[in-house]
Order: sequence, then structure tokens, then C-alpha cells
Amino acid sequence: MKKITRAGLAVLSVAVLVLTVGCSSLKTPATADVAVSKAAVANAAGAGGAQYAPLEMTTAREKLALANQAMVAKDYKLAIELANQAQADAKLAQNKASSVKAQAAADVLQDDIRVLREELDRPR
Amino acid sequence: MNKAHLAPIFLAVAALVAGCSSTPKTTSLLDQARSDYAVAQGNPSIATHAPLEMKEASSAMAQANVAANERDSDDKINNLAYLAKQKIALTQEVSKRKVAEAEIASAGKERDQIRLDSRTNEANAAKLSAEKATLAAQLAQSSAAQSQREAQLAQADAANAQRQTQEAQARAAQLEAQLAELAAKKTARGMVITLGDVLFGTDLSRLTADGMRSAQKLADVLQQNPQRRVMVEGFADSTGAADYNQGLSERRATAVRTALLDMGVARDRIEVRGYGESFPVAANDSAGNRQLNRRVEIVLSDDSGKVIAR
Repeated sequence: MKKITRAGLAVLSVAVLVLTVGCSSLKTPATADVAVSKAAVANAAGAGGAQYAPLEMTTAREKLALANQAMVAKDYKLAIELANQAQADAKLAQNKASSVKAQAAADVLQDDIRVLREELDRPR
Repeated sequence: MNKAHLAPIFLAVAALVAGCSSTPKTTSLLDQARSDYAVAQGNPSIATHAPLEMKEASSAMAQANVAANERDSDDKINNLAYLAKQKIALTQEVSKRKVAEAEIASAGKERDQIRLDSRTNEANAAKLSAEKATLAAQLAQSSAAQSQREAQLAQADAANAQRQTQEAQARAAQLEAQLAELAAKKTARGMVITLGDVLFGTDLSRLTADGMRSAQKLADVLQQNPQRRVMVEGFADSTGAADYNQGLSERRATAVRTALLDMGVARDRIEVRGYGESFPVAANDSAGNRQLNRRVEIVLSDDSGKVIAR
């Protein structure tokens, strides 16, 4: 009885340890991934993602929402997948906004230069 | 029989299944990601401007390929392929942004240079017009000064002319007074002063004291009017020989000249003529009339110094 009890305890404690490690190794990164995605989406929105990259921005927001739902449903694997996709979408949206804005600024400058040149070349 | 026939078929199926399992799996999303990746790799701008992002994209691409090679589930492959695809798209955006930023930097420099050129042009134009204005002002000033000088000269000329006129008038008045004293007569040839017979001495060729006074007055007139000259003309009456009368008229005229020379009148201002019995002023029929004919006439020239001869 005593022996059995000891062996049962050992098995039980190992099982608990394995479960705990397994759960923490799944749940903690999922929370972190979702948080990182949330920040990425916020950054992209702040950089004008909604205006300059509406498609990517919408996708990122939808996937973030789905990731949150997966967290509630404790489907951490799906949550991590969705969070990573949302993060990639958000980063793309942010960089797209930056590149569009930079290109617009460059165009304005080129226009300025054209006008200035015309003024300079105008016969006096 | 049947069993012997079935054996090769099973073998073939087994071989097919084994062959299929070793072929890598793929999905349309993975194909899309691979195609995008090839394009990104062929873009030198990405290698230059987004090396870090490209590294991450390559790593994502490799993970997706590994999953495909290991025949993982479609969901897993698609998930990894999607991540790779978005990361590849990211490299494109980063590269575009960097290119645009470089363009902004160089365009900014260019714009500043053009503005500088423009300002330089404007400054040069302003300087040029200022120089022109200065030059014009200097010209105007010098022309104003010139005008002033001319006006002053004109004023001086006018004053001078007025003075000369006044002097000439004064001289003319003085001359008139002096000539009135000499009983000068105005004739077509000019002012004529007649020295009568009584002004000559008995030797007939020298002036009496009264005659000398008259001559002195005439000398004064000549000295005050240096531009004038005189013609001294001697005349006689018809009594006696013509030769004698001619000589007498000449001697008397010469006597007047001698007197004037003694009084300081230049020789070239005096002309002498003897006309003898010619040009009587009265008939030679009485002693009084003959005395009138014995005379010396002094013709005063005009201001130009010309005397019209008889």
C-alpha cells in the first residue's frame, strides 16, 4: 500500500509537472504574441496604416480579434498563429504607409524643383 | 491464378504510395510566396536598402519550405507561407521608402541650390539696377551742375553785356558832349569838325593857341575812343595859283596832324588829304566867304575805324 502510494505520488507529481510546463509553455507565449501584435497594430494605425494601407490594416485588426477569441477559447496554438499573422500584416501596413508618405513627399519636392527651375529659366 | 495476378498490382500501388510520400507538398499560397520571394531576390534595391528585412523573409520562407518538405498540414504550411509572403512584401515597402527618402534628401539639396541660384540672380539684378541708378544719378547731378555753370556763365555774360552797353552808352554820351564842344556836324560821312582860318597862324602851317586847344580836345576824343580814326582834309579859297592853294591845304592838314602826333595820337590813326580850291563851302565872292573856304575839316571815323574818302 505504502509502496503503491509512493509510486502513485511520483507518477502524479510528474504528470502535474508535465502539464504545468506544457500549459505554461503554450499559454505564456500566446499571451505575449497577442500583446506584441496588439502593439504592432496600434503602431500601424498611428502611422496612418488605415489611410495608406487599408487592406492590410483591416486584415491585421480582424486577425487580432480572432486571436483574442482563440485565447478566450484557450486554443493557444491558433491564437499564436493568428497573432503572428496579424503582426506581419500590421508591420506591412505601417511600412506601406511610410513608403507611400515618403514617396508623396519626394513627389512634392520634385514638383517644387520643377516650379523653381521654370522660374529660374524664365527670361527676365 | 488470381492471387499471382494480384501481387504485382499491390507492389505497384505500394511503390506509388511510397513515391507520393517522398514528393514535397505545396499549396497555392506557398507558390505565391515563392514567386514573390524570387522577385524580391532579383531586386538589387532590396539587397541594398532592406537587408535585415530580407533576412527575416528568407528565414520565414525557409520555415514554410521545411514544413512543405515534411508534408505538414495545409494549415501549418499556409500559415508559414502567409507569414513569409507578408515579410517579403515588407521588404518591398522598406526598400521603396528608403529610395524615396534618398530622393527627398537629394531633391532637398537640389531645391536649396536652385533657390540659392535664384537668390543670386535676384541679388545680381538688384545690384545691376542699383549701379544703373547710381550712374543715372551721377549723370543727372553732373548735368545739373553743368546747367548751373552755364546759367552762371550766361548771367555773367548778360552782366558783362549790360556793363559794356552801359560803358558804350557812357562813351557815346561823353563823345557827343566833347564833339558838341568842337562844334562837330553830323554828315553822311560821319562827324565832321571844322577848324576855321582863324585857328591858323600867320605862317599858315601852325595852329594858334585856340587851334591847339581844339586839337587837344580832338586828341582827348581819340584817346578815349581808340577804335576811331580821323581823316584830316585841308581846303583853300580860289585866290591865287592853284598849285599854291593845293600846297597850302596840305600844309594846314599836316599841321593838324603834327599837333595830334605831338599829343600822343598814333600816326596810323591819322590820314591827311589836301584838296586845294576844291569843295568850297561858300562862293568865293567876298572876303568873309573866302575865309569860310579856307579851313581844315576833320572827319571822325565810326567805331570800326573806317573813314569814307571824298
